[in-house]
Amino acid sequence: MFLAVGPLRKELADSLSSCRVLVVGAGGIGCELLKNLVLTGFKNIEVIDLDTIDVSNLNRQFLFQKNHVGKSKAQVAKESVLRFCPSANITAYHDSVMNPDYNVEFFRNFQLVMNALDNRAARNHVNRMCLAADIPLIESGTAGYLGQVTVIKKGMTECYECQPKPTQKTFPGCTIRNTPSEPIHCIVWAKYLFNQLFGEEDADQEVSPDTADPEAAWNPEETAARASASDQDGDIKRVSTKDWARSTGYDPVKLFNKLFKDDIMYLLTMDKLWKKRKAPVPLDWAEVHQLGRSQDDMCGAGLKDQQVLSVGGYSQLFQRSVETLRAQLKEKGDSAELVWDKDDPPAMDFVTAAANLRMHIFSMNMKSRFDVKSMAGNIIPAIATTNAVIAGLIVLEALKILNSDFQQCRTIFLNKQPNPRKKLLVPCALDRPNPNCYVCASKPEVTVKLCVHKTIVQTLQDKVWKLRRGAQIHHRLGLFASNNGKFLSDFGIRNGSRLQADDFLQDYTLLVNVLHCEELPRDVEFEVVGDAPEKAPPPSVPEEEKSITNGNKDSAQPSTSTKAEDDDILIVDSDEEPSSSTTDVSMETGSLKRKLQDAETGETASKRKRLDQQPAAEDDDDDDDIIALD
Amino acid sequence: MADHKTNKDQRYDRQLRLWGDHGQEALENAHVCLVNAAASGTEILKNLVLPGIGAFTIVDGHRVSGEDVGNNFFLSSDSVGKNRAQATTELLQELNTDVSGNFVEENPDRLLDNDPEFFHRFSLVIAVQLEESTCLRLGSVLWNAAVPFLVCRTYGLVGYMRLVVREHTVVESHPDNALEDLRLDQPFPELTNHITSYDLDNMEKKDHSHTPWVIIVAKYLQKWCREHDFQLPRNYKEKEAFRQLLREGIRKNENGTPEEEENFDEAIKNVNTALNPSKVCVSVEDLFNAEQCENITSQSPAFWVMVRAVRDFVQAEGRGSLPVRGTIPDMIADSDKFISLQNVYRERALQDAAAVSRHVESHLQAVGKVCIWGTLHMWNAAFLRVVHCRALVEEYGVDTVHKDEITSCMDNPDSEMVLYLMLRSVDCFYQQHSRYPGVYNYQVEDDIVRLKLCVHSLLQEYGLTVNVKDDYVHEFCRYGAAEPHTVAAFMGGAAAQEAIKLITHQFVPFNNTFIYNAMAQTSATFQL
Repeated sequence: MFLAVGPLRKELADSLSSCRVLVVGAGGIGCELLKNLVLTGFKNIEVIDLDTIDVSNLNRQFLFQKNHVGKSKAQVAKESVLRFCPSANITAYHDSVMNPDYNVEFFRNFQLVMNALDNRAARNHVNRMCLAADIPLIESGTAGYLGQVTVIKKGMTECYECQPKPTQKTFPGCTIRNTPSEPIHCIVWAKYLFNQLFGEEDADQEVSPDTADPEAAWNPEETAARASASDQDGDIKRVSTKDWARSTGYDPVKLFNKLFKDDIMYLLTMDKLWKKRKAPVPLDWAEVHQLGRSQDDMCGAGLKDQQVLSVGGYSQLFQRSVETLRAQLKEKGDSAELVWDKDDPPAMDFVTAAANLRMHIFSMNMKSRFDVKSMAGNIIPAIATTNAVIAGLIVLEALKILNSDFQQCRTIFLNKQPNPRKKLLVPCALDRPNPNCYVCASKPEVTVKLCVHKTIVQTLQDKVWKLRRGAQIHHRLGLFASNNGKFLSDFGIRNGSRLQADDFLQDYTLLVNVLHCEELPRDVEFEVVGDAPEKAPPPSVPEEEKSITNGNKDSAQPSTSTKAEDDDILIVDSDEEPSSSTTDVSMETGSLKRKLQDAETGETASKRKRLDQQPAAEDDDDDDDIIALD
Repeated sequence: MADHKTNKDQRYDRQLRLWGDHGQEALENAHVCLVNAAASGTEILKNLVLPGIGAFTIVDGHRVSGEDVGNNFFLSSDSVGKNRAQATTELLQELNTDVSGNFVEENPDRLLDNDPEFFHRFSLVIAVQLEESTCLRLGSVLWNAAVPFLVCRTYGLVGYMRLVVREHTVVESHPDNALEDLRLDQPFPELTNHITSYDLDNMEKKDHSHTPWVIIVAKYLQKWCREHDFQLPRNYKEKEAFRQLLREGIRKNENGTPEEEENFDEAIKNVNTALNPSKVCVSVEDLFNAEQCENITSQSPAFWVMVRAVRDFVQAEGRGSLPVRGTIPDMIADSDKFISLQNVYRERALQDAAAVSRHVESHLQAVGKVCIWGTLHMWNAAFLRVVHCRALVEEYGVDTVHKDEITSCMDNPDSEMVLYLMLRSVDCFYQQHSRYPGVYNYQVEDDIVRLKLCVHSLLQEYGLTVNVKDDYVHEFCRYGAAEPHTVAAFMGGAAAQEAIKLITHQFVPFNNTFIYNAMAQTSATFQL
């Protein structure tokens, strides 16, 4: 019956029915891939996806129908495939692949892993898991008409992280809070505002004027003083944008006047900022509404999304969306939080309105809801045809891998239209691993430049990893929570210190060389110097060094953190006491292993997990984003 | 109703970002015919039903076999024995209730015998896994009716597509690196006036650093021209000198160090863009020289009337230039300055468009037609394209075959061209034996010999002195005319993409043959 295996040799056909494969993601590529796999003769397939089905998936994710909206993608995909191919043996997980349950042992169950993912964090993770388990991985992605497929095999090919990927664009806090110059700054501000008002408050997403903006101050000392003041208590005192909003009963007019009038007036008092820039123009609710209660904004059928409204129109939209969101919040109960979602109309309306009002205040051209949505949701266009092509290519690469024919495997790029050489597809031989890659090299190292007196442990924990290694939020350097606020220098870390960071889940160790530097540019807390460790100068002052983890005798309490801290950082290269590091490693390993077995680490399943990864989710939007088409 | 609209917007959100509402509308008005609901065919339709094509009709006289169920996702074992058109229509229909699915339980040959006009009603006909003789018959019916025809085939690990369309016009070709249309080399009077309204030397500092770069470049170009015999900077050296001139224009503070003026940085960066000569590009020039542009009749399609009107415009009002596009890129500027500059371009574009429509009207009047001019969405004269494919008869004709293309490609014996020759050879085999080679395992050895003869006679018939390696003959016998699902899935994606291009008149489709080698993951397009 399976003519499909006609052109395949018998041994290969047999191995298809006996092998076990993992599909990571059941979105645009995932749906196509599952279909192709079962119809090519694959029998044992496991599929994992934490996402649920949305209406905007239906234009391409053909295993889902309208009545499935809100259900688990993995589960529905499995059921739909079984309806057509009842003989397949499919296991579905409605979960994040980054959940520690899916450890190296789990990955070793498979002969092949295929990624059909939409975000870099998960791609990095699966890449490392497959390297650790030494299982071949097929990586893929699409964006609009473009697509790409590649094969990753430990020791033979480049891994997903061998070449640095352009980092996600982030914006300095003061640009967002004080001096936006592009629409995207206002959109980011509006998304922060949503969280401040209705969602989970995040101190990094402050929206009020930033008094510590170094550019606004008259002299550097004052800046420093202000900065440290706000670090210590400023933000904490001001934190309650939400409490304030609540106290007004989320009165849209009061909110409007605070955000678009009072705060802007306050910004105007920081006159240094406006010496070279065009100063913002505050908006007053009453004035806006005197100007035009014209109906022109409300009319216009059909392409409503693509119209740019007037200031009056956006202030009305602001009012309406605040009222709707207030009602939603009320319905959910007192301590409820809303989660911003580009496909949730009132949430999207709110961001459209707030961002546009701010754009107007800062003399920018306003944008339609459609455009704001693209930018706010980092929407990558996605169509059925490209996914179909890419999923077809993936299975053909899979067949070569199962045939152990790695020499024939290719990286394939799909063009929008045939290129000048008349090629729609551009196949390239796979590159050898990058010997300096700090993911797949045997002894990876990285050198970072930072100020040990100003950088706190938390920063190192979050940002070094996030920036350089592609938004690995789960990748906490497992320092204990009580230490997170301390400066690196408190632990004797100084120029030339070598730190070891472990990720036990991914069976991976990275050496971090610290290059101390007092003077870093504005808004830069650290810089990655390059991959070569020898660039770090020898330590200027030999110093006794201790492990951070047990160095702090008074407060080392291994389980204060509820997060799944599967990673750890230690000082290994103490110039005089190299032996201490060895002990530390083994001790930590023990304690972490224990923690991993705790049940509480497993609870972070499904949608919730995704929220924890907000920073990572910056590029997460659709189910099929591109790997790196540069 | 409004709800339905929102729902559609949501459902199609991710694709509207590629082809827009007007592209979507074209899709929703299209009726596509699929001949043969084999795996490649249903994969194509799936990729058209999901984005919301208006209607499809499947023509297929086959009964569902076990093999069909094995490689076609839209068939299950209880469909065995049913008509294939009916069974697949039911399941494809489930993908999107907005789409109207129809089927005709009829062998295409019989339809061509009894009711060839049946095929005239479609926006596009797609045939998959169709025998050569039927394909040629259908091809000529559609050619005469000017209905676009897309042939698609999955043969083992080889994919084949052929587009047969007499003339396909593209209004939005979405070129990858479209140049801005700023006219700084030959500013129109309104632009010159606007530029003159700026006095860079006597401006508030804030205004100076918020003047759009287009104005800055234009200002300094005027200065440059006065000093250089009214010649624009032409080569690298002169452009560099011009950049230096811009650099010197940056305001200095009390200490004599230059201020930070981002708009000037932008101006310096954009010197090349700005100096791009405003001329009619070659592909549009070709349209102007086309015969359809020269002879406007009452039968002329709207596209050609428009091209002619644009040509008239270029020769008259435009003084050698296309109508102004009217859009400018984002740039550092305050809103007022940006908007007034934008308006200068926009108003000029509207004027030019009005002039073009006057030419359109006069042509239509001349041939006695009423103006039925719909609003062409964001049409852009520089992005107009036209594609002419050759008819299948020409490709197959001994006298009209593109022998040179074949021979020169075959200089590389592993060019995808060899796969084309092999496909033609297996068709030749089918003609002689009423089956494809290698479909029965016990005959493979004999079939290799027979297929070799077919290759030989094909090459001889067309007088091709090229060498086809035996490996390919073996490989094609091994395929046994199978249609592996994953290759069909690839072709389904690629063919549906071409179908969408044809239906929306956006993006340029391939011309005219596409070959995919699934083993090497390579592809090529040929003009045959």
